[in-house]
Amino acid sequence: MLALKNKDINLLRSSEKSSLLRFLALYTVLATMILLLLGIFYYKSQEELMFSNERIKLSSYANEQVKELKLLHHYFPSRTEYPRSYNFNSAIYDIERVKIFSTLKNSEVNFDKEIYRSGDKIHFVKYLDDYYLGAKYLFLEIAEDKEWYSKTITNIIILGILTLVIMAIFGLFFVHILLRPMKNSIMLLDNFIKDTTHELNTPITAILANVEMMDTNVMIEKNKKKLHRINIAAKTVSHLYQDLTFLTLNHNQQSKDEWIDLKKLFEDRVEYFTILAGSKKVTFYLDLNYSAIYIDIIKMTRVIDNLISNAIKYNKRLGAITIILRKEYFIVKDTGIGIEASKVSAIFERYSRFNNSEGGFGIGLNIVKSIIDEYGLKISVESVLGEGTDIRVEFLKASIGNGDSND
Amino acid sequence: MIKRIIVISLMLSALLYAETKSENIKENKKENIYEHNCIPCHRYLPSSLGDMYMRYLKTFSGEMTLKAALKAFLKEPLEQTSVMSNLFIDRFSVKDKTLLNDKQLDEAINIYWDLYNVRNKLK
Repeated sequence: MLALKNKDINLLRSSEKSSLLRFLALYTVLATMILLLLGIFYYKSQEELMFSNERIKLSSYANEQVKELKLLHHYFPSRTEYPRSYNFNSAIYDIERVKIFSTLKNSEVNFDKEIYRSGDKIHFVKYLDDYYLGAKYLFLEIAEDKEWYSKTITNIIILGILTLVIMAIFGLFFVHILLRPMKNSIMLLDNFIKDTTHELNTPITAILANVEMMDTNVMIEKNKKKLHRINIAAKTVSHLYQDLTFLTLNHNQQSKDEWIDLKKLFEDRVEYFTILAGSKKVTFYLDLNYSAIYIDIIKMTRVIDNLISNAIKYNKRLGAITIILRKEYFIVKDTGIGIEASKVSAIFERYSRFNNSEGGFGIGLNIVKSIIDEYGLKISVESVLGEGTDIRVEFLKASIGNGDSND
Repeated sequence: MIKRIIVISLMLSALLYAETKSENIKENKKENIYEHNCIPCHRYLPSSLGDMYMRYLKTFSGEMTLKAALKAFLKEPLEQTSVMSNLFIDRFSVKDKTLLNDKQLDEAINIYWDLYNVRNKLK
């Protein structure tokens, strides 16, 4: 197996996809914001818990320090040594917030908070009723125990991930609910097509077989024309039938890949479509070099048929279709109505139709794209409104034959 | 002639001495406005100026607040605005109004603040 297969049934249209992506982005942003807020609340509550624990200890230290200040005030200036402790550093500020004396390691103080973190220290402020040594504010400083911090951060990360997983499960559930009506309508359409297709087989086969068998030599010219029209109509229906069959029945079947001669295949399919093209007086111009590719012939036929069929369907009367085949790619070029540049990206979506004057279900190019994707090929569209469309299909190097190789 | 010269010299010396002395007195007066106007009365009180400073400091805390309160008290001494205990006031009563003007008062208070300021003394 040389060609890369990637079976991906594209059930969602681009507008539906973008709605879904917007919903997911909004959901992700909201979920992240909720988690962030919860994280901040949890962090703040843990910090407050730590502060309340430290506050008890610091209040006791502050009372001790006030007693020492009172003594020093009483004996001043015979005693001038500021009271120090191994447990904490301290500072005193007067009512005008001017420093009187300080042993703080971190000198940035906040007069408006009772307890706060300052760098790697915790500061506690006690407001004195009696201004010993002129002190209105007594600041105490202790080193911060970082254990609560690492525990809190670990908890936030673990709980955050758990909540994110739970919210992701909820998100998937919501997306399923959101997509259910969309999937149901697509399934309904698929089932309708499947049922209709089933009923088309016998009459089409009968019409085509009988048209082929009729002896045109004995017919008058008027009847010949009528038969010709019947043949075109039957082939159009047959082409539609094959597309619908592929879509509903063959798509998921196992491929039978083999080396196929693309030049021969193109010649066959052009011959098949000659009558149909003739109805619009469209002329084929073929520039075919030899090229072989390892692929399921039924699927490659569907690709070529759909591209040629579209080129005829959307062509002008007396228009032209040019098919160029090279070893690594082929191009189907028409002189038709073209497509607006903004709509080019949506032409491969199922049930997409850009011209209501022509019939069809809008499934042909979706089939082309699904086969192209399945084999990892590359398709590109260049279109000018009112001038025509070029569709180029490039083959994988691995799937290209050298001319002599056969399976 | 010699007698006249001696008399003039003595008179000049006396004049110079008198001028120098008056300048010194003025300077001392300026330098010691606090000592001249505060210490003499407080010398006889049981509570020293240092003790009173600590009372003011304990009551008013900041430099500006303390100086403003002290100035207000000195200009209008009242029992209610005194930082001293009732016992002290009963015993020595409240002081008389100061005779110093605002500028002199500020100067004396600044000298008093600098003299007892705890910030420079704490170790």
